[in-house]
Amino acid sequence: MTARAPLYAVRDVAKRYGHLVALDGVDFSVDAGEVVGLVGDNGAGKSTLVRVLSGANIPDSGEISLEGTARHWRSPQDALAAGIETLYQDSGIAPDLTVAANVFLGREKLKPGLLGKLGFLAEKEMREDARRELERVGIAVPSAGRPVSKLSGGQRQAVAIGRAVAWANKVIILDEPTNHLGAKQSAEVLEIIRQARSKGLGVVFISHTLPHVLEVTDRIVVLRLGKVVANAPTSTFTPDSLLKAITGLA
Amino acid sequence: MASAPQSSRVEAGGSAERLRDLLMRQDLVLLVIFIAMIGVFSAINPRFFSLPAAANILQDFSPVVLMAIGQTFVIASKGIDLSVGSVLGLSGVVMALVIRACNEAGYDPSLTIGLGLLAAMAVGLAVGLVNGLMITYFRLVPFIATLATFGAAAGLSLVATGGVQIAGGPQAVIMLGNKAYGGAFTVPVIAVFVVIAVSWVFLAKSRFGRWTYAIGSNAFAARGSGIDVQRHLIKVYMLSGLLASLAGAFVYFRLGSGSPLSGRGGELSAIAAAVIGGVSLHGGSGKLGGTVLGALITTAVLSGLIMVGVEPNWQQIVVAALIAFAVGIQSVRGPSAGGTS
Repeated sequence: MTARAPLYAVRDVAKRYGHLVALDGVDFSVDAGEVVGLVGDNGAGKSTLVRVLSGANIPDSGEISLEGTARHWRSPQDALAAGIETLYQDSGIAPDLTVAANVFLGREKLKPGLLGKLGFLAEKEMREDARRELERVGIAVPSAGRPVSKLSGGQRQAVAIGRAVAWANKVIILDEPTNHLGAKQSAEVLEIIRQARSKGLGVVFISHTLPHVLEVTDRIVVLRLGKVVANAPTSTFTPDSLLKAITGLA
Repeated sequence: MASAPQSSRVEAGGSAERLRDLLMRQDLVLLVIFIAMIGVFSAINPRFFSLPAAANILQDFSPVVLMAIGQTFVIASKGIDLSVGSVLGLSGVVMALVIRACNEAGYDPSLTIGLGLLAAMAVGLAVGLVNGLMITYFRLVPFIATLATFGAAAGLSLVATGGVQIAGGPQAVIMLGNKAYGGAFTVPVIAVFVVIAVSWVFLAKSRFGRWTYAIGSNAFAARGSGIDVQRHLIKVYMLSGLLASLAGAFVYFRLGSGSPLSGRGGELSAIAAAVIGGVSLHGGSGKLGGTVLGALITTAVLSGLIMVGVEPNWQQIVVAALIAFAVGIQSVRGPSAGGTS
């Protein structure tokens, strides 16, 4: 019994694909200023839950609520408009576009007046704003006009996360953000997550890398075969007990 | 205020890299090739460097560049449009049929031409809509979807005309299509230059262009960013169809009749112009300036080969070599070195 509704929550969510039950009565929530780790083996239902949270999948049953109000996302656009940003695994960035174009992708600023009505981009303004927004979340970008393809893997990921953090005003969902990154770059990503938390965002962190989960999260939710099998403060887990919760092996 | 971690800095290019970027710019390389080509042809046959020769090249260049502009948008979105040559033919004959009917009904020549032009544009938009719907809602790959409309549009042109040319327009048609100002610039040619300028700005500076590149670069990211990818792709294919129909109208004005055989192989010329111009088949990049130069080079080289006395059958081989050369450069430079602005 909580007196206050969590920032973002789903209750009793179910989703099936034909005979496959991907989610089977899942409860999940994240609070403002909280980092919740979402872990589970392959096929546990993590990706499906991420898609439900981001509005990409509509659950067969169950409730979604943001700040205590029931919500029904029909598309990712609905969730984005409500302040819920999702960074999907390995795919958040258009490599041919510049850093600034990526930061403003889908939310381009247009020139004032008639030119704007004709769809002309306010390129300079976006470059300056992109640099400022990325710096605000802890990423320095001397040249927001460079194509992302010219950046290293770690830099690309930093731009992708920075973009999501800059736009999110309630919840940010990060699906495997430290995948394929080296130790130093991963540490930087974890630092960005801490900054997002300190700004009062609710952060959902999905990862297979358990040391990262144990390091950065406040609470961990473990999925197994479409059900929540553990939901407890991170301090109550050890690496060993977390692994056991995920695999279900005693 | 936390200071930024060192290695997530996005480094600015040094001056050496800028110089390399300059040399890698395909549009500049193409310009040099184009000027060198003019020099070689003119040295062999001085008449190549003359106004009549230039006027002739512009007439050949115009329909190719119109289709190639559409192709640039389509390829930048990681698609392909094989239907443009057939759309040229079909829109040309529909325009000819409408104009003949209006002319026989005694309509005013300007109204007749206007209605014919609208009919041609409607054909292009309709084929583009069909392409777009097949690709987005029925999930056909662009190659197959536009191959289907390529065949269907070519067949429809033959059915609609019985396989013969359709003339019977007012005298104003021939006047409009062939009266040249300044020795080389007919009204349709001037219109083509306006279309080039507008499309250039539209691709490089507008949100429509930005989304086109974004979808070609990473459709998943575009969708995740809230872009309605399906809707946008339908618009891109409709734009390509519209431009191909303008190419059909251009050819109609030039010849004064619509032939169901017009535009045969036009899709190859259009794709060749775009690819030679540096538009990457991987999607996400390509500039309109490159495409325009690509169209200019492919049409000028054909004209030049005739004027220096090369047997016409060699022309296809030369164009094929140009395409192979251009794609070769692309793969050496990597998939996304083309840039987008």
